[in-house]
Formats: sequence, C-alpha cells, structure tokens
Amino acid sequence: MADAQSRRLVDLAQVIRSKNAGPLHLTLDIMFPDAASYGLAVQSPALSRDAIARLYNVRAETVEVIPFAAANAIKVVMDRPVIAGSPGDTDVYGAQQHRPLLGITL
Amino acid sequence: MSVVARMLDRAPRPGSAEGLRVLSASGQLGNGVPEPALKAGLARNPHVIGCDMGSVDPGPAYLGAGRMATSETVTRRDLRLVIHGARQVGVPLLIGSAGTAGAAPHVQQVLAMIRAIAKEDGLSLKVAVIHADIDAAWLKGMVASQRVRAIGAAIPPLTAEEIDASAHIVGQMGTEAFLRALALEPDIILAGRACDTAIFAAVPLLLGYPAGPATHMAKIIECTSLCCVPGGRDAMLGTLQGDGFELESMNPARAATPVSVAAHSLYEQADPLAVQEPDGTLHVAAARFEALDARRVRVSGATWEEARQPTIKLEGAAWCGERAVCLAATADPSVIANRDLITEGVATLVREILGPVEYDLRFRSYGAGASVLFPGAATGIADPGEVFFLIEAIAPTADIAKAVVGVAKQAMLHFGFPGRLSTGGNLAFPFTPPEIVAGPAYRFSVYHVTECDDLASAFPVELVTVAG
Repeated sequence: MADAQSRRLVDLAQVIRSKNAGPLHLTLDIMFPDAASYGLAVQSPALSRDAIARLYNVRAETVEVIPFAAANAIKVVMDRPVIAGSPGDTDVYGAQQHRPLLGITL
Repeated sequence: MSVVARMLDRAPRPGSAEGLRVLSASGQLGNGVPEPALKAGLARNPHVIGCDMGSVDPGPAYLGAGRMATSETVTRRDLRLVIHGARQVGVPLLIGSAGTAGAAPHVQQVLAMIRAIAKEDGLSLKVAVIHADIDAAWLKGMVASQRVRAIGAAIPPLTAEEIDASAHIVGQMGTEAFLRALALEPDIILAGRACDTAIFAAVPLLLGYPAGPATHMAKIIECTSLCCVPGGRDAMLGTLQGDGFELESMNPARAATPVSVAAHSLYEQADPLAVQEPDGTLHVAAARFEALDARRVRVSGATWEEARQPTIKLEGAAWCGERAVCLAATADPSVIANRDLITEGVATLVREILGPVEYDLRFRSYGAGASVLFPGAATGIADPGEVFFLIEAIAPTADIAKAVVGVAKQAMLHFGFPGRLSTGGNLAFPFTPPEIVAGPAYRFSVYHVTECDDLASAFPVELVTVAG
C-alpha cells in the first residue's frame, strides 16, 4: 500500500475530521484503517508539528501533534484564533477546518 | 422504599460476575431519543439510567440568553420517555447539564417540563436539583487571589469586569455533587452544568467501584453509541465489573469494536490520554480494548489520579450586541474579482452614513473561503464561479444593526468599481427583505478553571417534589 500512488492522506486515512475541543481549541483527528498506514503517517514529516503549522499558517507553538496508537489515529490540537461563537468566528463547531489536510501527501 | 435504596439493595458490588449495568439513554436529551434502543436497554434491567443534556458546542448564545438549543416539543418527548423508562425498571434517573447550558434558567425550564409531565401523567416524583451557577462575588475573590487560570490561549485572563459583563456563569460539577444528591434518595437528579462523566460515574463510585474504570466507562457512554461503527445516538449499556467494563450498543446495527471505542477517546478531547475532572484526572494511556464478540468490547486499565486541589471548569457568556444580517449573492466575474475592493468601499460608505455610532460590520464571502478559521491556511480553494455574501452587523441595538446592513446592502448593490458591467446591480437577493434581524449576539466571556476548596457550597442541592 505504500507505493507512490497511495501516499495521499485522503487515500490512506479512514477519517479526516475537525472539531472543537471546547471553545478555545480546535482538534484535527486523522484515523487510519490499520497499524501499517498509521505507522506510515506517524513517521511522515508531512504531519509534523511544523508542517501542520505551515499548512494552517499559524505558529508552531500553537500546534500539538498527539499520536494515539490504540486507535490508529493522530490527533492535532490547535489554539483557535477566535473563540467559538464570538463575533468574527467562521465555524462555531470547528467541523470544517480539515480541508488543508486533504491535500497532504505522506 | 426509594429507588436509590432499592438500587443500593440489589446492585452488585465490585468483583461480582454480574456487573453493574449503567444505561446511557441519551448524550443530548432533547434531540430525539431513539425509542427502540431505549426499550432494549430497559429490557436489560439496568441499575441506573443517565442522560446528558448539554454541551458547550452550540456556542455562547444558549448560555447567554438562558435558552435551550433543543425544541420544547422534542425535549418534552425525550424527558417523558426516560422518566417513564426509569419508573418502569424502578431505578434512579440522572440528568446532567439541564437545558443545554445548565444555568438557572435552563434548570428551571427543564424542571417545569418535568412538573408538567408529572401533572399530565399523574406521577409523583422527588427531584434533586443541583445548581451550577457560580457566585460572582466568590469568583471575583478567586480571581483576586490568582486562583483562576484560562483554559487556552484564545481567551484572556479572567477579570472582575468580565465576570460582571457575563449574563450567566456556570461551573461543571463532578461526581461529588451527584453523590450529595443521591444521599437525598430522589427519583430524578436534575443537574445544572455537569461534567458528562459525573452523570454516569456517580452511582459506580457510591457503590465502591474504582474511579479509573468507572470514570473511563462514563467518558465513553456519555455519548451513547457514538463510540460504535456506525456511530449513532442509540442507548448504550456499560457493565462495570470493577477492574474493567463491557460496552454494548442497544441498537443491534451498531458495533463497539476495540478501534471504534479507542478512537472515541479522541473525540472533542484536547488530550486523548488524560481527562481532567474536578477532583482528579483520568489516565487512559494504559487502557486495553478487547473484542468480546463482533459488537461488544471489554475495556480495562484506566487509572485515576486524585487531585490535590479540586478545581471547577467555568463557562460564562456575555451579551455583545444585537445582530442583523443581509443575504445576497453574485455570479458576475468582475464583482467576484473585485469583492475585497467593493466590500472595503461599502464599509467606508456605511461609516459615512451612520456616523460615530458603535457597530461591527463584517462581509463573509462564501464560495471564496468564508468558512476558513485560520487566515492564510492552505485550503486550495480556487476562484469561485459564484459567491454568496453574508453581510453581518452587530450593534448596541437591533435598529442600528438593521440600519448598518440595510445601508451596506444598498451601497453594495450599486457600488461602482473599475471595469464594472453590472450597472443594473451587483447582487442577487434570494428573497425580500434580504435583511434579517437575528437577535442578541453573545460571546464566551469565561472559559477558565478555578480552584475550589468547597465543592459542596459551589453546587447546592435542593429537593423538589412534583406531583400530578
């Protein structure tokens, strides 16, 4: 499965989602169907803290990447630039912020 | 004999092969409890039934305005189902985060519904009401003695001014409050804002079950069958043996698998390995998830670390003005290409007309990245063929807000820009009037953690009898 054609995150992951964890944080969950694809993702520089920060145009200190092997999943936690639901927020639940991940190749 | 006394009488203690059966009837009471799964759960003869009713997800408006996010009709239907369900099997019913946000008006609205149901159905019910409203003077004292901290970087340190500005401030109660309420032997516990876990962990703790597995089970079943494949809202049964627990959805079409249950630990959680509660921390890093069969999982290994200093997570919402919006769209490539120039020009015109009035005007260009939360994120959104404009104003009064979007609408419709062809109008309105008064706007003013030396006085319990 690790050939060049299938290293796109959208092909490897089973779930790519975003959601608030409270009104101050946004989380991205990337879940893989098996340990092999999870292993590939965990080692990939494309999902490093710096890479995610660049992808979202935020400072790396505001990003945390947490691998969670028991669920074949990687969690990313970011500071929200706007408190959920405050004037100027664009996504109260934070459920549509996963799009930048869709273009990633591991 | 009260249902609590009966439960204490018959419920298995830690180590029994039978296990303590905790039925999670709803993770969002008021959004429609699926009846077949609830009935299947009742048929399993649970020892306690819990429902979560609240969330911070829908934003600050519900806490601020004292309104429920769910409809009165469906909330009443759901309440009736679980009240009768608990009576049918003769067990306590624990409801947490009453009426979405769990402040005094939410608790009162739900209590009024329970009262109405009791009256209509001829029931006599003892309801232990636990209040979650935080005393402003006490909280200011905690701020002054530097015992309050922000939960994230997006919110500034709490101040006395922000406390005064808040329409409601609630604290998330833990199991301590539910245990005090259980001691009053009610039929129903109706709690204001509560930790989701406390609703489901309180009875296990009362019976002496270890806090690690009890809290971990509570954490998973509080969302009912969301931890399954496919996820859903059907009632979930947790059977706690002591060192571990078994999970089973009460909808046979939903399967709890080791991966689906483990994955649920990630959901809405900043740290999947540690869950902070008022009186301690749940650690799930060492948890093991084993399949019992195709749709049941056994979980064990979570541990509990008692807090040296109890804390309360606070939520507060403040009014920040009245909102009006205007809905419009464009399919003109020149308008789309010049949208920033147009909206900036319109904003200037509006300021000239409105003068030195306080307002907040915002143009959201849907189709062109308006849902993007992180400016400059690599979304790859291409130039749109059509753009939907949501023109939004927040102002001290609804009249001013409406005036702002009204003036903006007219200015934008006829705004001139280099290369303009669309002199009949730059915008397509889906209906008329396109301006809509959207009601009060709120913001989260408090999302902090305070230390607390006396949880019992923070969350007082009151016993209410409602009778038909």
